[in-house]
Parts: sequence; C-alpha cells; structure tokens
Amino acid sequence: MSVTAFLTDSTLCIGCKACEVACKEWNGIGEDGLDWSGFSYDNTGAVGASTWRHVKFVEHAPEPGFGGNAPELNSWAFSSDVCKHCEEAGCLEACPTGAIIRTEFGGVYVQPDICNGCGYCVVACPFGVVDKNRDDGRAFKCTFCYDRQKAGLVPACVKACPTESIKFGEIENLRGKARERMAELHLRGMTDATFYDASDSSVAPMPCSSYAAIRAATTCRPSRKCLRFI
Amino acid sequence: MLGHGWGFAWPNDCRIIYNRASARPDGKPWSERKKLVWWDEEKKQWAGLDNADYPKDLAPETKDNLKNGKGVEALGGARPFTLHPDGVGWLYVASGLKDGPLPTHYEPLESPVANPLYKQNANPAALKRERPDNPYANSPGDPRFPHVLSTYRLTEHHTAGGMTRTLSHLAELQPELFTEVSPELADEIGLTHGDWATISTPRAIIEARVLVTRRMRPLWIDGQRVHQVGLPYHWGYKGRVKGDVVNDLLAISEEPNVRIMETKALVCDIQPGRRPHGRELLKELEQKMEPA
Repeated sequence: MSVTAFLTDSTLCIGCKACEVACKEWNGIGEDGLDWSGFSYDNTGAVGASTWRHVKFVEHAPEPGFGGNAPELNSWAFSSDVCKHCEEAGCLEACPTGAIIRTEFGGVYVQPDICNGCGYCVVACPFGVVDKNRDDGRAFKCTFCYDRQKAGLVPACVKACPTESIKFGEIENLRGKARERMAELHLRGMTDATFYDASDSSVAPMPCSSYAAIRAATTCRPSRKCLRFI
Repeated sequence: MLGHGWGFAWPNDCRIIYNRASARPDGKPWSERKKLVWWDEEKKQWAGLDNADYPKDLAPETKDNLKNGKGVEALGGARPFTLHPDGVGWLYVASGLKDGPLPTHYEPLESPVANPLYKQNANPAALKRERPDNPYANSPGDPRFPHVLSTYRLTEHHTAGGMTRTLSHLAELQPELFTEVSPELADEIGLTHGDWATISTPRAIIEARVLVTRRMRPLWIDGQRVHQVGLPYHWGYKGRVKGDVVNDLLAISEEPNVRIMETKALVCDIQPGRRPHGRELLKELEQKMEPA
C-alpha cells in the first residue's frame, strides 16, 4: 500500500472553510458552539475533538495613520490546519492501550473502540491536535479519512477544496510538487516561503523513512510575507 | 491554470469570456505573459490555454461579409465580442442602456460627497420610489448620517441566510451579525471590539457586534475623511443563529438598467451600544430624522 499525504499550500487558500464543513459532514461531527469569536472571520478557534480541520485567518494591515488608498499594504492570509500525522508521532508513542495505530496509508489513527480516554496523547501532541471528547473523554482527531482511503477515495477536505490548496497523493510525488511550487514562489519574490515536512514534526527526528507525512500550517505568523507553503 | 473541469464555466468549459480578444486581429497573442488563445496556422484552428470562446475554425484573416452574410456569419475573424451583434467591444452603446450611450460617473443616491464630474449628483434615471416608509438622507453630505455603509456576503451563508442559518455546520462558522469598522472610526466614536453598536439609516435602526479591523480604512475624498461601515446581511429572526435584518437599512431604489437597489453605497450613522425595541425604536428613528 502506498504512503499517502496531504500537501496544504496556504498561498492558494481563500479561507472558504469548505474543508472544515466537508470534514464534519463526512465524519458525522456535530456543531460545537454558536459563539462569535470576534477574531477576524474565524469562529472555529482551533482543532479539537469536534473540529479536525481549522482554517486560520491572519490579518496583517498597515499601521494606523496611513490613511486609505494603499491596498498593497493590506493582506489577509488563510491557512488550513490539520493533524500532521507525524513520522514519529508523539500521541502514538504515548498511547498506553494501543488505541493509536499507524495505518497502511501511513496515517496516525485513533481507534475509538479501544481508546480509554486516559489523555496521555493529548499532552504528547506538540501541535495541540488530539483532544478529549467532552461527552465520554475519549480522544479524537483527524483520521486521514481512513474509511474513504480504504474505499479508494481522497479525504473529504481534499475533495471539497475549490482551489486545490489541499492536495493529496503519494508522499514522494507531493514532495516533488512542494519543491517545484516553492521554487516558483521564490522566483515571484516570496523569498520566505517554506515548506514543512512530516519528518520535521516528529517528536524524535529520524532520517526520512517510508512513514506518512501530513503537514499543515502550524505557525503562520502574522507577517504579510509569510505565505507559508506547507 | 484556469481551473478547467471545475465549477462554473462558460459553455465548452471556456473560462474567460471573449478570450479571442487576448490575441491580436492576426491571431497572435498580444502578450506572451497574458496569452489565452491563438490561431494555430498548421491545424487551421484556435488553440491555447483556454478553450476558445469563438468558432473553432474561423481564421483571423476571414473578411467581414456585412452586406450578404446572415447573423453572426456576416462577421469576420477579428470580432471577439461574440455576444454583441457586431462582434466588437462597446464604449459607445448605441442601444439597450437606459442611461447610455456613454458611461459616466454618478454618486450613489445617498453620498457623503458631491459628484466631482458634474453638477448632476446622482443618476437622474434611477427610480427612488420615495414614500414615507422609504425616505432618503440628504445628498451630498447629510450630517445625521456621516458614514458610508456597504453590505455584503460572507462565504459561509447564502443570500439573506434563510437556508444556511438553519444548517448547524454553516451557522457555527458565522454565528452572529457583526459590523466591521476601522480602528480610527472605533476610536473616534468610542466603539469597543466585541461590544454592540447601533447602526441607523433613514429607514431603520439595527444592532450588531463590533469587529474592529484594519481591513476597513477611512477614505480621503476631496480632502475630506470618510469612514466606512461594513455589514454582512445574512441574519434574520429565525434559524439556529439570529440577528437583525440588515436589508431593512437599505432604500428601495432601482438602478435604471438592472433595477437593483444600492446595497454597496449608502450612508449611515453608527453609535456604541444596543438599540431600543418596539415603539421606543420607532421614536428613536423619528428623532433621528428630525432635521439637524
């Protein structure tokens, strides 16, 4: 079975949140609060037990006093965040029950029927991705659409993304695409564009193995130049 | 590059209408960087990055046959505007426009500033439908309503939200009506991010949560600083998420051609705090409308 991955290109994200909705629809996750955050257009907040994809909204605008009529000073960056399915996954290492496994596609999967809700994985995740369900305390996160991949389908978020900001495929293939895209962005003057590999996110960095890599923007800083390619 | 195969397109999956105009009359691209379609001399047909919005084998050198030709067949190979009867783009619109034949600039029916081009401030062909329940602010420059108001949509909701406010997965993404203002305006009149503001026009008074953002910026128009207030219009009194009806603020007016009301450019007042209800609200609106 080939090892698959996400490639999330934040320079193509338009902030439509279709990935968030598609994820919740496919995985049967309910609405988790009708609260207005006041944080740009982001009322989701963070990934968690009931949100497996989260689009960040980063506003960067000129200092007050500039007046108007200078739209080039303004930027609004969007970035879709998700479980990185680390090469050396902290959650998987920490799980005492064997509930968290590595799938044949390379994803890190929490088996809900085995998880006992101890929460070790929650503190072991360096990205705050794994979260305990408030109802019964079991841990939940992105499954890398294990069920869809089993049936030969692409993950729901990938299917829904209208700009192909979220790409899916064999990891080596995507690494090539990532390098190409980064070179193109550098050529266009976005010299701080970078990409983030699953091997970087591992709790114990190791030479690149055949494990899956899923990566997303985790540290998109509010700099208008930071069009992070991840 | 152009998203072929995805979503909405013109017939034949043509992504950019009139793309024949990206090539010179002789069929070669005007610009290497912006080229879309071009005439392939060998295959004797239009080729390119997009599907040609043009008869596939109509050669650029084909002459017009205006005297004897019928309909579009009378047109030669260098007339890209395929929806126009004469196949060319129009600045001078000979027929069809109610306020033609040449485009010009009018201020909106309600504007904080005077038309810099003509004494005629707003479009004289627009229908204002003035009635006691459809009053207008003075224009240009009504001190009772000093700011520009634009209403718009969010990605998460559809039109006035009647369908999407009932869907939990969309309602949770944009759960509440908010108004977007610049830090400068917030500072000037004492609006606090996350608190409430009351927005009024001659037609209605509504309330919304305050979102202070530098995406909104004051404009300098003819030496005058004009503030903008933004309001998405997706809320109403029913559904999983509720809010005041922004469309109540609009005038019922008709632009002469498409007969749509002005939703992007009208004037308003905005004040910190929540609005009154019931008769108190009507009283407030009446007071607001008393000449300054």
